[in-house]
Amino acid sequence: MKNKKNKLVALLVVGLIGINMVSAQEKYIDKNGTLVFEASEKLFEEVKAENTSVTAILDTKTGEIAALGLMKGFRFKNSLMEEHFNENYIESETYPKAIFKGNLIDFEFKSLSEIEQKLTTTGILELHGKEKEISTILTIKKIDKSISIQGNFAVTPEDFDIEIPKIVKNKIAREVLVQLTFNLIEK
Amino acid sequence: MKILNILLLIFPVLLFSQDDLFSEIDTDVADEFETAAFKGLKIVNFESTKMISNKELYFVVSHRFGSVKTGFKDFFGLDQAVTRLNFIYGVSDGINIGVSRSSFLKTYETSIKLRLLRQKNGGSPFTIVSFNTLLINSALEKENLPGLEFDHRLGYTVQLLISRKVNKNFSLELIPTYFHDNLVQLDEQENSQYSLGLGGRHKLSKRWSLNADYGYHLNRAENSPFKNPFSIGFDLETGGHVFQLHFTNAQPMNTNGFLGQAIGDWGEGDFFFGFNVSRVF
Repeated sequence: MKNKKNKLVALLVVGLIGINMVSAQEKYIDKNGTLVFEASEKLFEEVKAENTSVTAILDTKTGEIAALGLMKGFRFKNSLMEEHFNENYIESETYPKAIFKGNLIDFEFKSLSEIEQKLTTTGILELHGKEKEISTILTIKKIDKSISIQGNFAVTPEDFDIEIPKIVKNKIAREVLVQLTFNLIEK
Repeated sequence: MKILNILLLIFPVLLFSQDDLFSEIDTDVADEFETAAFKGLKIVNFESTKMISNKELYFVVSHRFGSVKTGFKDFFGLDQAVTRLNFIYGVSDGINIGVSRSSFLKTYETSIKLRLLRQKNGGSPFTIVSFNTLLINSALEKENLPGLEFDHRLGYTVQLLISRKVNKNFSLELIPTYFHDNLVQLDEQENSQYSLGLGGRHKLSKRWSLNADYGYHLNRAENSPFKNPFSIGFDLETGGHVFQLHFTNAQPMNTNGFLGQAIGDWGEGDFFFGFNVSRVF
């Protein structure tokens, strides 16, 4: 019995060391990443906004990736549009964040180089209280100590239950193109 | 026991998979300035605490038609419109300047609007803005007023706009005002006048809001025919425009005009239909 108890303790210790080893992994982070979305229609006013304080984190061991953007961080060309975006469309008081949690498929830290690699990413984008699965191809390279990630994907307002009123329906594109640029450095 | 051993060995792995990478970057939303207490630059007649952003140019066209009391004769006032064209420019987010021309007494106006304080979650409970105008009445004729000097054409307004976005849908504003006309229509009326304005906006839906404002004149001459202005209307917002449609008993649109020379009387069904339309450049 005593023997068994010792064994249990030993296993726990091994387990705890294991936890430490697992959590001491390498993570890369960018706190000033850029997200640009555009929903402009030809002949109408540009509907475009940029957020330059998006945070992204990449776990180089697992290829897991997460990103956070605050809705109020999006800057439009015109502040009235920005107000409308926050108040009437995205409702940023109630839903202040856009969250992405996903994985870079077949990611291998060792194979990163200055030569661009294209990797498929899938994950869940949470916005306006709704979740949607996103899958896109990202361009990744490593220059010195930073990992650069670029890419884009398209979503529609309906995906996130964002209502576009009839009066502006033809001024806002049905598909919203989102571009992302991150330069991650070791945390 | 074997199963327990295995469980213990994979325990760190299990724990790891529960440890969300996202939680490492999650933040609390920082204290932010309250935005959009009012959507239009005006509540109805009174100036709101909304400011134009840096380097933006607004063009505001306002109309107040004649009294609806005239019925079909003037098509409820359509034939008797007073028009005001107003350009406002954002020198910075906190400093706006404007020029306007109103057909009421052929008035030219220049204004400067300064934001002194901004409502903030965990900060100031109010937004405070100072609004100042200089008015030139170019309708006065020397033939009718032999002693007329240029000074007589001038009027001034100094206003403090104190607003609070009470909740997501409701905003209130208090407007202590001092205004001075170098020439008043009644001898008994003091040139320096005081008033207290109250205005509010309540959102009805995402794009519609109900707006109203009222100005209480504090030293109107006893025999004055002029009334305190009360106005009620709707804001309709679209991408780059705000349309404000309203009914008011004041036909003038400059501060000294609607506070000092409103002739309509709600009690007698004597009021005006009007609108303000703004366009951003």
